[in-house]
Amino acid sequence: MWETLIVNPMINALLFFYDVLGNNFILAIAVFTVVIRLITLPLNMRQQRSMMRTQEIQPQIQAIQKKYRDNPQKMQEEFRKIGYNPADTLTGCLPTLIQFPILIGLYQAIIIVLGSTPQSLFELVPRVYPAIDLTPLIPVGNKFLWMNLSQPDPYFVLPIVVFASMFIQQKLLTPAPKGQDQKDNPTAAMTQSMQYTMPLMFGFFSLQFPAGLSIYFIMANIIGIFQGLYMRRITDREKAERAAKGGTTPYVIDAGDEKVGKSASSKSNQSANGSGTTKSKSSSSSQSTAKRKKRSAKR
Amino acid sequence: MHQLRRPLRRPALWLLIVAVGVMFLTACSGQIANTNWAGLSTDGSRVYLAFGPRVLAYDPETQTQDWIFPAESGAVQFFSAPSAEEGQVIFGDYGRAGGFLSPRVTVSIYALENVDSGIPTELWINSTSATDRIVAPPLQVEDKVFVGTADNHILALNTNDGSEIWDYETDHAIWGQPSYRDGTLYVNSMDWSTYALNADTGELIWQTPLGGALASRPVLGEDLLYVSSFDGNVHALDIASGEVQWSAPASDWVWGASALADGVVYYSDIQGNIHAADAETGDQLWTKSTGNRIQTAPVVVGDTLYIGSQIEGDTLSGTLTAYSTADGTQKWSQPTAAPLLATPVVVGEDTIVVGLQNADTLLIGFDLATGQELWRYSLPESGN
Repeated sequence: MWETLIVNPMINALLFFYDVLGNNFILAIAVFTVVIRLITLPLNMRQQRSMMRTQEIQPQIQAIQKKYRDNPQKMQEEFRKIGYNPADTLTGCLPTLIQFPILIGLYQAIIIVLGSTPQSLFELVPRVYPAIDLTPLIPVGNKFLWMNLSQPDPYFVLPIVVFASMFIQQKLLTPAPKGQDQKDNPTAAMTQSMQYTMPLMFGFFSLQFPAGLSIYFIMANIIGIFQGLYMRRITDREKAERAAKGGTTPYVIDAGDEKVGKSASSKSNQSANGSGTTKSKSSSSSQSTAKRKKRSAKR
Repeated sequence: MHQLRRPLRRPALWLLIVAVGVMFLTACSGQIANTNWAGLSTDGSRVYLAFGPRVLAYDPETQTQDWIFPAESGAVQFFSAPSAEEGQVIFGDYGRAGGFLSPRVTVSIYALENVDSGIPTELWINSTSATDRIVAPPLQVEDKVFVGTADNHILALNTNDGSEIWDYETDHAIWGQPSYRDGTLYVNSMDWSTYALNADTGELIWQTPLGGALASRPVLGEDLLYVSSFDGNVHALDIASGEVQWSAPASDWVWGASALADGVVYYSDIQGNIHAADAETGDQLWTKSTGNRIQTAPVVVGDTLYIGSQIEGDTLSGTLTAYSTADGTQKWSQPTAAPLLATPVVVGEDTIVVGLQNADTLLIGFDLATGQELWRYSLPESGN
C-alpha cells in the first residue's frame, strides 16, 4: 500500500522529470519539489495565514485565557468573538503531517532511483511504470559538483545551507513577538526556540542522509521563503485594510487587570465601530461576572 | 505527573511529529541504502560468503566453517564476493559512518590471512583509496589486487601492504569484477563503457561505449571479450581494439556475465530467458524461458547449465535449475527459501553451492548431477 501509493509514484515522477530534463537529477528533484509544494500550497497558505493571525491577536488570546481560566465555555465564546478557533491548531499541523509521508517516501524514492547498490537497482525495475523506458536512464547520474547524491555531503556545505534556508523560512513564518510577550507567553517563547531547533534538526538530518534529500530540503525551503514573503505582504495588506476600516477589535479586561489590545487611539476607533461596541459590552458584562465571582469568593 | 499547559501543546506536538519523522527516516536508511545480496566466491575447494555483517570461509568437504570475520557483527556491511589467492583473502566493505555529527563515510578494503580455523589475521586494511561502497569482487593478479568502487574508480593496490599503485576514474560506479590477461585489465563500468587498461600503469588502452549500463564482469574468450549490457545484448568486442564484432540480443537487460563453453556463449536476461549463441558469430542457437527473474550469471559444467533465480512475484524464494546446454531442456530444479541473487559456485567434483542472505540458511550444497541437497549451513548462533 505504502509502496504503491507513495513510493512508486514518486519514483516514477522523479524518473519522468529526470528523463525530460536532460538526465539531470538535481533539476528533477527541483521540479519535483515545486510540484509537491504546489500540491500542498493551499494547506500551507492556510497554516501560515492562521499562524500569522494567531500571532497578531496573541495578546487578546492571553487575556481571555487568563480571565476565563475557570470557565472554558465562556473562554470559547470570547475566542469566537475575536475570531480565534483553537481547533485551528490541529488544522495548522496538517501540512506538517502531510510533509512527513512525503519526506519518508521521497527519501526511499531517491535511494532507489539512484540505485546505489545492485539490489536497489534490481528492486527499481518492477516499480517503474511501462510508459517509462528505464534503459537509457540507468544509471541515474549521482554526481553533482563535489557530491555523491546517494551519500551525505562530506564537506558540511549542504547541512549549513539547509540550516540557513530553513532558519530564514522559519523567521519569515513567525514574526518576532514583543519583548513582554516572550516573558508572559510560553507559546511565543516556544515558537521562538523552534526557529532554531527546527533548522538544527534538519541540518542534522542532512549530515546523515543522502545529499539528494538535502537538495530537496533546500529547494523546499527556498520556495517556502518566497511563499512566506508573499504571505507577509498579504497579511500586512489585510492588517492595513482592517486598520483603515476600524482596526482590530481590542479585548479589554477590567480595570484591575492589565489592558490588552490597542492603545487609546484604537479605543477611539472602537467607539466609532459598531462591532467594537458590541465587544466592549460583552467585555463589561464579563467583567461584572468576574467581580461577582471575586465577591462571593471573599464571602 | 505534570500536565502540559495548553499553550505548550502545539509546539510539543510539532516536536513529537518531527521526532517520529526522524525515527522513520533513520529506520529506513539502514535498510535501503546499504543492503545488497550476498557475495559468493570459491577458490575451488573453499567457499567464501560476504553476507552483510560478516564474511566467512566454509569447507564443503568437511562441512565446517573455517573462519568468520569480524568476530562480532558490527555496523559495517560486506557484500563484495571475496577474492582468495596465495593464502590471503581480499574484500571491501560498504562503508562505516563517520559518527553522530560527521557526514563522512570510511570505506575499507581488507586483506586477511586465509587461516584454516579461528579468527583470520588482518594483513592490511586500506581505508583511504575508496570513498564509496565496494560492490565489485576484487581480482588478485600476482602482487596486485584490482578493486572496482562505487565511486567510479578502479584501483590497483599492492597485495603486500595495501598501498595504492594507480587509480583510474570512469564516469560511474564499477559493480563487476575486472578481467585480466597478458598485462591488460578489462573493466566494465555502469557508465555504459568497457575499458582496457594497462595493468601496470593504469593507462587507458581503449574504451568502447555501448548502449546500456554494464553491471557484471567482462568474459574473456580467445579473441573476443563478451560484455553483458542493460541495452539487452551481449556484445562481443575485439580484445585488441575494443571494436564491437557482433551483438547477440536478449529480451531485456542482461545483468549477469555470460558463460563461455565449447564455442557457445550462454547468457540470461532479467525477464528470465536463457540464451545460447555461437561464440564466434553471435548467431542464436536456442532460447529458453524460465518464468523467473534472473540477474545471476549462468554456470556451465560439462553439458549442463545451472542458473539461480528469483521466483517471479515472490521476493522471498528462489530456485536453482539445471538445463541441458544442447537445447535448454530442464534437468532438475530445486527451490530455495530465499531468492538466488548471487551466482552459484562449483566446488570439488560434484557440488554446486548457492549463497543466501537468510538467517536460517547461508549456504546450500547440491549434487551437480541430480540436484539432491547434500548439505546446508547456517551460523551456529542462528539456532539451526
